[in-house]
Amino acid sequence: MQTASTTPDSGTRLSRDLLAGLLLIAFGLAAYVGLFDLPTRDGGNVGPGLVPKISAALIGALGVVIAITGFLPSAERLQRGTWRGPIFVLGAVIMFAMSVRTLGLAVAGPLAVIVSAFADKDSRPVEVLVFAAIMSVGCIALFKYALRLPIPLAPFLIGY
Amino acid sequence: MFELFDNLALGFSVAASLKNLWLCFLGCMIGTLIGVLPGVGPVATISMLLPITFGIDPIGALIMLAGIYYGAQYGGSTTAILVNIPGEATSVVTALDGHQMAKQGRAGVALGVAAIGSFIAGTFATLVIAALAVPLTKLALLFRPADYFALMVLGLMLAVVLARGSLPKALAMIIVGVLLSTVGRDLVTGDERLTFGWGEIDDGLDFAVIAMGLFGFAEILRNLETPESRDVVHQKIGRLLPNWVDLRQAAMPVVRGTGIGAFLGLLPGNGAVLGPFASYTIEKKLADDPSRFGQGAIEGVAGPESANNAGAQTAFIPMLTLGVPPNAVMALMIGAMTIHNLVPGPEILTKQPKLFWGMIASMWIGNLMLLIINLPLIGLWVRLLKVPYRLLFPSIVLFCCIGIYSVNNNPVDVYLTAAFGLFGYILIKLDMEPAPLLLGFVLGRLLEEKLRQALAISQGDYWTFIHHGKAAVMLAIALLALVVALMPMMRRSRDKVFAE
Repeated sequence: MQTASTTPDSGTRLSRDLLAGLLLIAFGLAAYVGLFDLPTRDGGNVGPGLVPKISAALIGALGVVIAITGFLPSAERLQRGTWRGPIFVLGAVIMFAMSVRTLGLAVAGPLAVIVSAFADKDSRPVEVLVFAAIMSVGCIALFKYALRLPIPLAPFLIGY
Repeated sequence: MFELFDNLALGFSVAASLKNLWLCFLGCMIGTLIGVLPGVGPVATISMLLPITFGIDPIGALIMLAGIYYGAQYGGSTTAILVNIPGEATSVVTALDGHQMAKQGRAGVALGVAAIGSFIAGTFATLVIAALAVPLTKLALLFRPADYFALMVLGLMLAVVLARGSLPKALAMIIVGVLLSTVGRDLVTGDERLTFGWGEIDDGLDFAVIAMGLFGFAEILRNLETPESRDVVHQKIGRLLPNWVDLRQAAMPVVRGTGIGAFLGLLPGNGAVLGPFASYTIEKKLADDPSRFGQGAIEGVAGPESANNAGAQTAFIPMLTLGVPPNAVMALMIGAMTIHNLVPGPEILTKQPKLFWGMIASMWIGNLMLLIINLPLIGLWVRLLKVPYRLLFPSIVLFCCIGIYSVNNNPVDVYLTAAFGLFGYILIKLDMEPAPLLLGFVLGRLLEEKLRQALAISQGDYWTFIHHGKAAVMLAIALLALVVALMPMMRRSRDKVFAE
């Protein structure tokens, strides 16, 4: 698994809580802007905008509180992360989504396993290939045949 | 009293059908299989396995999911004892003495006592659920929309107060969940909300998408960043059945743990997590020789494991009777029920007694199955523990991808889940636990619906929440809980400032 990037003193100088607060403020603001046209009242009743607008406002307000605690001397620093994990894991998911309808599980399955395996820099190519094949066959047997889910198998080859 | 047995008899007649027994068994098996894998806790296990229940009828699906849940819990304890990596917060305590026992060559006894204690706790908790279900449901049926709204606010507030970590962050996460639940076309007025013109999310965000993004993918990303140190025991597992000395030592801790866990499990938030900790502390206090704890004391496994399982089960009570999930696992169960078009809450018991009692009876059957299937299969679990994470996580990715796609047979859901995976990863990096978000999301729609109904009845008068006795009391408790929780936090942070 990851090693170098998570040594004990891999903290950045950024305050974790400050960033968390700013994220929440941005989230609340964006939501509020998106909700701007929705009325909070609908005649005498609750309008479609009431609950989401109150939520967005509260999120922003809590964001301010959390951001302020980020300035306390005791505030924790942000630990450096790695982009390797998110890129390959989520990249694998996106590739699965792109290929499952056209190429089917027979292609999208091994693709997802192989691409996501890159997220760990200690993975071994041969092992991954063999494992991807086994997992895909297993998943096809389980989901397509045992559970009968209507997921395409290999439309370009066999038509379903 | 006789009513109770009638109800349980009805439940067993449903749960003991060949098909439901098979599903219960399958759930327990698969749940343990996945739950035993290091780094995969019950929440991840259930969200991952949710899709395999889609094709089953509602009662069967719920029985299977409950089985998966117990299996995952039990699998987590096995991992804690054999590897010293607790799969979830609830098995942290088990790892303390359980792993020491394993190192002394008594892993079998530790696992055996954990299984027996869990079974006794599970039996008791099943009876508690059966006894409390009817009165609580009757109470819930008296609730007007205003009371219901107040109850949900109270539930969410207690969940915040009892959560680990920062209080404002947990509160913010719940409200983000509520906000996300409003995305899509408004059911009353038909207005589009927060869709930004994108038709794919007109029907709202899917529960499975959020659950698998936050607990499937984001968990993987979290795990990939923590260097793995597995300490699988090399010693022999040893005999599984405890001898008389072990049993005598374990008996009272099991009884006490069961009581503590059953009570704490009823509380929202991390109630079920508090159980094992409370039980461990009490056993240590009561012990003749407290120094044995941490060195492989059997009481330190028996008590917390019983508390763990009792709490895991009584947590079903607020979910099944009131429709208010006390923790993330129960939020997942509610999500699963919604997928099967069941509305959690008092109507389940009154309108679908077969489903309700069948599920409760299956809880006991599930516990019995775990006891029977787990002990002989320990050799298999030990082998599973040796599967390296570098092979494990690509399999989880594939499983989740297939699962999400199968919810609506729509690749857009898969893209959205990737986005929530990234969101969850950012949240984790910023020290915000995503579990409360799921609670808020699950309750959000109901919260809004009840608010609307309450205000429609009162013709827009917000004081309706104060004028109604029950609602006012619950809102007052919610406020009080928040104030009490804030006080020590304020004091502590002020102390820190002074110390500088």
